[in-house]
Amino acid sequence: MRDALPTLKKLERRANDMVLSYDDDTTFTVTYDDVRHACPCAKCSPMRNEDDTSRTLRRQIEALPAEKPTVRTVGKYALSFEWQHGCSSGIYRFERIHDLANRRDPDRGKPYVHGAW
Amino acid sequence: MADSPVTINSPGGQSAPANPEPSPQEQKQMEQAYAQMKRKMSMEEIGRKIKHKIMVLSGKGGVGKSTVSTGLALSLAQQGHRVGILDIDITGPNVPKMMGLDGRRLHVENKRIHPAEGHMGVKVISMAFLLEDEDTPVVWRGPIKLGAIQQFIGDVEWGELDYLVIDFPPGTSDEPLTVAQSLPDIDGMVIVTTPQQVALLDSRKSITFSESLKVPVLGVVENMSGFTVNGTTAPGTTLNIAAPGGKTLTTTADDDGRFAVTLDIFKQGGGQATADEFGVPFLGALPFDPGFVRGGDDGVHRIVSEPDGPSAQAFANVVEAIQNQLSDGADGSLEIV
Ligand SMILES: Nc1ncnc2c1ncn2[C@@H]1O[C@H](COP(=O)(O)OP(=O)(O)OP(=O)(O)O)[C@@H](O)[C@H]1O
Ligand SMILES: [Mg+2]
Repeated sequence: MRDALPTLKKLERRANDMVLSYDDDTTFTVTYDDVRHACPCAKCSPMRNEDDTSRTLRRQIEALPAEKPTVRTVGKYALSFEWQHGCSSGIYRFERIHDLANRRDPDRGKPYVHGAW
Repeated sequence: MADSPVTINSPGGQSAPANPEPSPQEQKQMEQAYAQMKRKMSMEEIGRKIKHKIMVLSGKGGVGKSTVSTGLALSLAQQGHRVGILDIDITGPNVPKMMGLDGRRLHVENKRIHPAEGHMGVKVISMAFLLEDEDTPVVWRGPIKLGAIQQFIGDVEWGELDYLVIDFPPGTSDEPLTVAQSLPDIDGMVIVTTPQQVALLDSRKSITFSESLKVPVLGVVENMSGFTVNGTTAPGTTLNIAAPGGKTLTTTADDDGRFAVTLDIFKQGGGQATADEFGVPFLGALPFDPGFVRGGDDGVHRIVSEPDGPSAQAFANVVEAIQNQLSDGADGSLEIV
């Protein structure tokens, strides 16, 4: 089981990154490129399974024009990011966001298995 | 509205020959386009008229999706809400049976499908209403199946509803996708699991799937989680009961001599563990209750036969947990700037 997750109190969108403030008084900066590279959707996730495809994904993201996303909460447990360009499909659990903030692998080393059903 | 909704505008505003007769092929294309547009509009209208839409899914079959779907619908109706249930299981639709509507056929009026009314006024639409004979297994091929679902959703006259519960066949991919894409603003999915390891593994897959679908997970429900034995003996008697897993449960009868012990048939707490692992809400556990099986056979749902019983109470708790998730759709405290 995981440690208790602090509650995200504030998300400030800046030009190229966002500042996250948690209720345990910690603050982090996460770049949009990192957010997009960690997209949990069924199209992006498998690309992170291998180092070379993961790098390809990274390059594709870095080639996109810089933009500020629209951020929405999903239920009470996640965030979604909507971009003009590139993939907007992923739903990011707060846990995933916290992993990104703490520079932890949000996939926790688990490869994505497609066609889960 | 006019009878023929299809009008032809000549492009570019040039004076075209008056009333060019469309070829039969063009006519057919226009009709198809019109039907599609109408369906899309009615889908949007359905989206507006139904406040909350909840999908009930599981990775594995037979874990009790239909029991949970009907139970949630009835529990919500018990609270006074206007509720509908859409049974999308083409291969084994069993919702009508559970709702006391066995043998019902499709009711079509003015080209609209009207739901049947089951227990507590819950409106029911089931793929079973389409079947000629319930003993005939329907093996519809994929595209027909999906077309039928879309038509179903678009052509049903639900009226105003507070909740629509959608019951799915087990472990599929096409059906939830189609529904999620056809119906606007689905609130989320409830994942049903039993405490066994395999079922849990599958529900993990469902959660991953939901993320790729962009439909939020409202939470995990653990079904068939424990069996409560009730009995009477002399008041104050202490009983030792051999429970599964070599455990001994101890209970003392109350002043009236009544006692109750809950046996964990399967391993306990698996639903909670899955929910924890994925950071999604745990919505509660539903007891193993043979009354559900009987209800499935005689068409009187457990919540109807025992509206204040422990199973109905467990459902009410799950409903409350779901409603907490729906309330405003956001962790109100998060400020996004
Ligand atoms: N909590 C429960 N206690 C006792 N029996 C139950 C319970 N939940 C479901 N059942 C029984 O288990 C069987 C399967 O339940 P149900 O049809 O609801 O599962 P399902 O997931 O919809 O199945 P399918 O995957 O075939 O659609 C039924 O006979 C039902 O009565
Ligand atoms: Mg079923």
